[in-house]
Amino acid sequence: MKKQISILAVSVLSLFIIALIGCAGDGAVGTLQFHANGEDFVREGFVSKDGWSINFDHVYITLADITAYQTDPPYDPHVRGELEGEVEVNLDKVYTVDLAEGGTDAPPIRVGEVQNAPAGHYNAIFWRMAKASSGPASGYSLVMVGTAEKDGRSVEFTINVDEECSYSCGEYVGDERKGILEKGGTADLEMTFHFDHIFGDAETPLDDELNRAALGFETFADTAEGGRVDLNMGELHLGHVGEGHCYCECH
Amino acid sequence: MDMKWKLTIPFLLLLLLCLPATAYAHGAKIDYTVNMTIDIVAKYDTGEPMGGAQVVVYAPDDPSNPWLTGVCDDEGRYSFTPDTSKPGNWSIQVRQSGHGDIVHIHIGEDTAVTGGGGYSVLQIVVMAVCGIWGFIGTALYFSRRRA
Repeated sequence: MKKQISILAVSVLSLFIIALIGCAGDGAVGTLQFHANGEDFVREGFVSKDGWSINFDHVYITLADITAYQTDPPYDPHVRGELEGEVEVNLDKVYTVDLAEGGTDAPPIRVGEVQNAPAGHYNAIFWRMAKASSGPASGYSLVMVGTAEKDGRSVEFTINVDEECSYSCGEYVGDERKGILEKGGTADLEMTFHFDHIFGDAETPLDDELNRAALGFETFADTAEGGRVDLNMGELHLGHVGEGHCYCECH
Repeated sequence: MDMKWKLTIPFLLLLLLCLPATAYAHGAKIDYTVNMTIDIVAKYDTGEPMGGAQVVVYAPDDPSNPWLTGVCDDEGRYSFTPDTSKPGNWSIQVRQSGHGDIVHIHIGEDTAVTGGGGYSVLQIVVMAVCGIWGFIGTALYFSRRRA
């Protein structure tokens, strides 16, 4: 009798400990996806501030050190402080993607994903625009290939950018909130690239800050084959998170 | 004599309570509630106000779904009263014409009307130890040698 009661007590105790362990640790994970988006400017083309109708065949961009963060307090890119998070997940490779891939109806380009990422709200992201070591963009961080037309004149262009930039970005701003990863679920983050910041946009007032800072296309059209146009990528603010802001450093 | 005073003193005290006091009519009473209002002003980088910009407010307990939506006035101003029973980061997103930004305003536990629940790790450990010792004690009790 004594032995049976002792066994019963130990059994109940064991069940209690197992239940406690199950409740104490969360271990909630899910899949976090990373996308790159050139928006309709790349997929459908647009008219630059100086009247050139630009269409892209390819826009190769090379991305490295892609890292997502759960930050509290939420990271503010306007403050330009160091980006640190309570939780960090990263893609460990260098990726060259074509933002024009898939045509006009294509979704944002899937760059990669992290499985078993801790659940939570990823409200900040970092990436580097780096020189590719191989492939169609070898030696450059950004390669734009396409055709521009104006007043009957047609120019086929290939614009190579070798400047490397890092982008420390806050939370995505758009129609829906991104980066909220629940246990067993899937969430995504987006690296957005605003090419109207390079060429301007005819649909935006010419005195708008965007068009005042943009180069337009005329500079590129007038450059002889093999010529060079200096781009200050740090001032052009190419990288965003939706409409959200990034702190950019280029060299 | 003693018995007489034991009855008399309480009776006298009871009488004192029944004496009429001054009557106060038409008194005033003020109830108050402390509300926190968040006022934002949204501007473009040029300093121009984002008049008519779309505003979306997210509460800390449901970051996926809008808690409130609205529109800035012509000066880019928007005000709302958050639910202070929900402490944490309140996020306000403002968008217009392809431009946007988001700010996060922390409302702490000390401003909350109601507190949160849940147990800390220490509390869980203490409860676990108590429960374990309870089982051990029970087993030892039933397994004791009888005198």
